[in-house]
Amino acid sequence: MKTFHARMRFGSAACSLAVLMLAACGGGSSGGGLGSGDLLVGVLAPFSGADAGLGPAYYAACLAAAPAINNNGGVGGRQVKCQQFDTRGEPADAAPAASAMVAGNSNLMAVVGCTSDEASAVAPIVDKAHIPMFCMTGQSEFNKTNLKYFHRLVPADIYDAYAMVGWALYGPSPAPFHKAALVFGNDIGSQAFVDPATNAFTKLGGQVKNFPITLGASDYRTEVTQVIAYKPDVIFTEALGSAGTFLGEYKTLNGGTVTPFIGTSATIDPQWFKQVSDAIGVDNLVKNYGGVDLGYTFSGPAYTEFQTNLNAAAAQFADAPKYKQRGSTLHLYDGIIMSALAMVATNSHDPTVYNSKIKEIANGVSGATVVHTYKEGVDALKANKSIKFEGAGGANSFDDHNNSVAGYVLVKYDATGGEVKVQELTPDQTAKISQAGGI
Amino acid sequence: MSIFAAAFGFGLVSMSVIAIAAVGFTMQFGITNMINLAYGQVMISSAYVAYYINRAGITIWVGMIAGAFFGAAFSFLLNRLVYAPFQRKGTSYLGMVIVSLAVSLMIANLLLPIVGYFSVSYSEHAGSLVRLGDIVLTNNQIAIIALSVAVMLGIHALLRYTRLGKAMRATAANPTLARNCGIPTQRVIDMVWLITGALCGLAGVVAALNSDSFVISSGAGFLITALAAAVLGGAGQPYGAMIGAVIIGLVTELSAAAWSPEYKEVVAFGILVLVMVLRPQGLLAKRGALAAAG
Repeated sequence: MKTFHARMRFGSAACSLAVLMLAACGGGSSGGGLGSGDLLVGVLAPFSGADAGLGPAYYAACLAAAPAINNNGGVGGRQVKCQQFDTRGEPADAAPAASAMVAGNSNLMAVVGCTSDEASAVAPIVDKAHIPMFCMTGQSEFNKTNLKYFHRLVPADIYDAYAMVGWALYGPSPAPFHKAALVFGNDIGSQAFVDPATNAFTKLGGQVKNFPITLGASDYRTEVTQVIAYKPDVIFTEALGSAGTFLGEYKTLNGGTVTPFIGTSATIDPQWFKQVSDAIGVDNLVKNYGGVDLGYTFSGPAYTEFQTNLNAAAAQFADAPKYKQRGSTLHLYDGIIMSALAMVATNSHDPTVYNSKIKEIANGVSGATVVHTYKEGVDALKANKSIKFEGAGGANSFDDHNNSVAGYVLVKYDATGGEVKVQELTPDQTAKISQAGGI
Repeated sequence: MSIFAAAFGFGLVSMSVIAIAAVGFTMQFGITNMINLAYGQVMISSAYVAYYINRAGITIWVGMIAGAFFGAAFSFLLNRLVYAPFQRKGTSYLGMVIVSLAVSLMIANLLLPIVGYFSVSYSEHAGSLVRLGDIVLTNNQIAIIALSVAVMLGIHALLRYTRLGKAMRATAANPTLARNCGIPTQRVIDMVWLITGALCGLAGVVAALNSDSFVISSGAGFLITALAAAVLGGAGQPYGAMIGAVIIGLVTELSAAAWSPEYKEVVAFGILVLVMVLRPQGLLAKRGALAAAG
């Protein structure tokens, strides 16, 4: 009997200990386990102000990613929700918005957005709070960032600039061009294109002049007159939100004709297409526009699921389906799913634990199973496999500073606003431009 | 081609657009004692009204009339439903500015889901180019200049030669005395909101037409230039606003040609600051149309 009682006491103590350990694992502050309650993705971006068009594209990404996760068991049963945090596109508004977001939401699993307008102001705040972030900024200050929680799934602006130079020098007819006018906003983010493009184009024999414009101005006639007087044979531009006004006035003051123009990857956008085609006409846009892009396939299982969820998101946000071919929407969708997979892979809701796993899942390790959806990823993880996620935006390759770099293609628009690939830059051409650009 | 002559031509267009907006804004302030920071949002709302009419296949010139009517009705209701009740309760001057700022934000945020985030353009051909030496203007721009001149002459005639104009000036100078003299000041104020609202709506459509594309956030830019011209000329003074519009319109374009376009607004607002330092009351503060009726 004594032995029986002793065994019972030992058993009770062991069970109690096990219960305590499980409780600790389940939701304690140690970070072990996936916890309970809803998880939040903060969409920290401009939803008002001059760049109000950016935030909705990122919000759409989150609305599409959430059901991809939630309909497949969530993150250990936890449902993912999306919330907008408006930066107004101004660092002065963005910093308090980021601080409030971090302070008021202990269940943040990731932050997406942080454009060039506000990334410098908000990235350190989010990093200090140890929340993984996926930023849509091309600023060169993040090329070698030491912020551990910063991730960038799009190339830095310098690569966009080099790709534009590639279009001008090696693209299809009427290229090659020899005299370029650079028309970008006079803000720090937009001007990031100027130096690399100038260096590369001039060292490879071209002539170039910068014509900075104030984005959001009501007219640019004097600026346009100066550009016309320079007589460029090509214009490099982005001018988000103002391209319609600028190019419309250019056409008017240039006797009804438009000089060929090459846009950044951000100009591959249905709204940009509409704005510019309204201003100069579809025929002029199709004939004279060249763009650079990251070679999305817009097909495959990851993209199919993305598009299905994006269409379903129209119930919450009517414009969501419009972003089906927007690079930033694809990438941020992937970023959220990779964060969720990293949580599952580490069995932790603690960002200090799962943050480093995001890079591993994106780049993959030797022998990793390639997965395209959250469900495939979870199934593979349950089978104790290591995974490499190739999502709607394609494969990623993070460097030591969490910048993912991919190759460029040269594209044009068709008359309906669809993207048409016309050429790919060869590795030799890319190397030559990068060398000339000095990076 | 002389860039300065071309810039002068563009300056004429800019000043014409600014003048319509600034005169409406300054009359609203001068007579009703209300700094209406929602003015820019009423402008952009009217521009969108014209846009939807234009999109239905109707010429923008009809849309412009509709925009003016919409601006008039919107401004009238804004005063009757929001501003006037606050004023009756004795809300301070600064308090009314904050109320108008709140109204401005509310309009912008209510508009956002209706009109969307992205730029739109009127489907109106700019017309052929007209060259006057090195000055190059489109038919539409010449029409805008002509319209602006007509509006300025109309405002001058209204204030100087009509009973309503005299009543407005009397109300602006001393509303209590005007009321005691038998002037129906409330009706006069209603008329002021209708007229200045119409100018506001007209200015919104003209500004949007002048700019090849516009977006909801353009309203804030419209307000800043109208406000700058009104303050430069002397707050509450229609003729001062006209002069302010000429200075702001021409200086921005000419400085862009002479120096760098990215600093054109800096130059214009630098002049505004300089004038405010040297003559805080503005250029025409004591000689304007809304000075004491006489």
